[in-house]
Amino acid sequence: MRRTGWILCAAIIACLAALPWFGSNFTISLALSITMYAGLALSWAMFSGTTGYIALSSSAFFGVGAYACAILLESWPWPIVILGGALTAALLALLLGLCVLHLRGTYFAILTFGISELLKNLVGYVEKSQFGTVGRMMLGVPSLSVIYWTVLGLAVAAAIIYWAVARSDFGAALRAIGSDEDRAATLGLNVRNTKIAAFCLSAIIPGSLGAAVAVRWTYIDPQIVFNPFIVFQTVLVATIGGASRLAGPVLGAVVFGLLEELLRLHFAHYYLILLGILLILSVLYVPNGLASLIPSRRPQLLHRAGGKHALPNDRS
Amino acid sequence: MPYPMIALDDLAVRFGGVAALSGVTFTAGASEFIGVIGPNGAGKTTLFNVISGMVSPSAGAFRIDGVDLIGQRAHVFNRVGIARTFQTARVFRNLSVRENVEFGLRLPGRRGGRARHLRTEADDLLDRLGLRPQAGLTAGSLPPTRQRLIEIGMALATNPRVLLLDEVAAGLTQGEAKTMASLIRDLRSERDMCVIWIEHNVEVLMRTVERVLVLHHGEVLADGPPARITKDPVVIDAYLGETAVD
Amino acid sequence: MTTLLASPSLIGDLVINGLLIGGLYAIVAMGLNLQYGMLRILNIAHGEFLMIGAFITYTLKVATGANPLWFLPLSAIAMFAFGLLLHATVFRRLSAISASLDIMEEKSLIVGFGLLFILQNAAVLIWGSDLHGYDFMTETVRFGGVTFTANRLLVLALAVLVSGGLIAALRLTLIGKAIRAMVQAPLGAMLVGVNTGTLHPFCFAVGLALAGLAGSLLSMIYLISPDMGTPYLITALIVITLGGLGSLTGSMAGGIILGLVETFGVYFFDPSLKISLSYAVFVLVLLFRPRGLFAR
Repeated sequence: MRRTGWILCAAIIACLAALPWFGSNFTISLALSITMYAGLALSWAMFSGTTGYIALSSSAFFGVGAYACAILLESWPWPIVILGGALTAALLALLLGLCVLHLRGTYFAILTFGISELLKNLVGYVEKSQFGTVGRMMLGVPSLSVIYWTVLGLAVAAAIIYWAVARSDFGAALRAIGSDEDRAATLGLNVRNTKIAAFCLSAIIPGSLGAAVAVRWTYIDPQIVFNPFIVFQTVLVATIGGASRLAGPVLGAVVFGLLEELLRLHFAHYYLILLGILLILSVLYVPNGLASLIPSRRPQLLHRAGGKHALPNDRS
Repeated sequence: MPYPMIALDDLAVRFGGVAALSGVTFTAGASEFIGVIGPNGAGKTTLFNVISGMVSPSAGAFRIDGVDLIGQRAHVFNRVGIARTFQTARVFRNLSVRENVEFGLRLPGRRGGRARHLRTEADDLLDRLGLRPQAGLTAGSLPPTRQRLIEIGMALATNPRVLLLDEVAAGLTQGEAKTMASLIRDLRSERDMCVIWIEHNVEVLMRTVERVLVLHHGEVLADGPPARITKDPVVIDAYLGETAVD
Repeated sequence: MTTLLASPSLIGDLVINGLLIGGLYAIVAMGLNLQYGMLRILNIAHGEFLMIGAFITYTLKVATGANPLWFLPLSAIAMFAFGLLLHATVFRRLSAISASLDIMEEKSLIVGFGLLFILQNAAVLIWGSDLHGYDFMTETVRFGGVTFTANRLLVLALAVLVSGGLIAALRLTLIGKAIRAMVQAPLGAMLVGVNTGTLHPFCFAVGLALAGLAGSLLSMIYLISPDMGTPYLITALIVITLGGLGSLTGSMAGGIILGLVETFGVYFFDPSLKISLSYAVFVLVLLFRPRGLFAR
């Protein structure tokens, strides 16, 4: 980006950071939602946008982050709580990746989607048998401003990670995997390790966000925390905004953050149906997202318009 | 006594009931220039698949530079120094020509130290192959004959010791095929590689390589200098027929 | 953890339940498998069509009071029609705009994901998010010293009938043979004149109809709710993997095996661990026999 672009971004971030001093609680909450979705969508796009492996595991990463928070919050300082969320999610990504990343895309998607369901049941079982109750109280919750700044910081971190990956050799490897992963292997890329590393990287921000945002609930249980809506919103924002450019998920987050605020309270289920319809329409008619409608001289940072394998039927 | 670069001993590859290769014994030295010919279905591509690690042999021994790589994943083969092209050109279709060729250079440990800039190295490679004018185009949009050049670039970017070329002269006019053959010969001497080249354009191949391997029904029919092979009655009978090269 | 010294009546009960749930899994999996084998789309919203089928039957039963068996064919036909509609409006365009099969798979995943949310939330809007149910054939039956509820035996019989019938239809009818040809060798089948223009929507719709049918059968024996679909999707995927992608007999066998494993496992461990158990089975199969238990 040129210098003016950098300055503009810095200015926006500065304004957002200053919000707790001049904004109402409502504005702060809204900004929090938007930055959270931006962070989730950027992390998702970094992995799924490049490699083409549609991961539906954001809810699971978010949820384990929330649980890490619930466990650590009482005795540990806030930065450690967030770090705990990040590491727990990365660990989950590692285990999950080892089990399912060698599968073709659809299996991978469905199994990552199901992991939320699995964790919901498993965590519920463990909580009930070990501790008697299914839920947990959040004690020692920090102020809204602290939570907001944390989420903002995490979203900025997600953007930096996205940007850094896009320009790096690692990003080139991910794009090659997305294009033809077997071919990439014959050129010396350790595809399995690269995929797993990227998957773990993509879990860090969602896990941290789960830890940061969970405190607002004051009470959590598996049902609340492993909610498929998180991953749905993530995929929605990234897909409609456009996964190929940094502006995409940010744009999508703003649009859907605002839309959610306007519609959710009164039209909750209609809203979700509308989102589903918008998602389908977007895939069918605006495949590269809203951001692709903005003209740009630069080539796309991450792009996936190709296809993983050269020949459609040469894999079984 | 140094190991041969490639050593296959009584190698067999079976798919279900079909023997794609059987009893193949073959060694290649570090700088040899070898051509592979044979009718369709003779097992030529299967041979490449074994040497590049995409297929595991069903029987027999197989070493690259003295190391037994059976069971290893494909990327290990490339790390040891094997790079290949495919019969139907397999490029990263949605990436640009430059990005395709850069890929091998971007893997860890590939560039000669940090001193050499990625763009310069890629430019050198693109220039060498005559692809520089098309560097920014999407690889999938180029015709298959140009895609084969991209593939050679992709392979060379990984700094191989063995280059496997699968029918890179297919679909070229005789003049273009001769140009391709010269290019390959020059690349080989510039980089001191072992080159193994499968080709149906027997005339051009015979004039370029130093040694010819003839495969038929999955077995080695003959193995020797081009002059001897073209006169071998068994080979003529099985493959060359009346189109024998003088 | 309950003792392993179980009485024959308990074993019998577990076996029947295992076969029952396995038969239902088989039907759901076969529907998914048919769609995948033919169109290379693994429909992530498949579980939701099961749920819709269940709710259609429930609503009709509660509204008319008639025997829900009448609504089985109705539900299946409704889902079939819905499948044709979906294919025409959404999936056909998807294959038109996708540059490769992989891209189409990715896009259909996201589209399916959207469908999942639309259907689940529509169901909540229409019926509310609570559990619903009706009574049907709840009288008990004694059989060789074991007690069963009549509805379970009926559903078991119907499940076996449907899955067996489907496999028979694939082997014996002309359209069945065309389908099998397309699944095994698409190019060859097209050369011989098999028409994908009609077969694709047909198979897609049949897949949906099977999901709806399984849902209808489920409504006769269990309570239903709008979120009941997702676990069946996961299970269907596991069954397909157990039995082998593209093999319908494999799905039937895989379904029954998984049903028995789950039923016995849940009895001796804990109901909450049902999904964990299925995932464990899945991971093990993938590690040791990735082409399915029955691959040659």
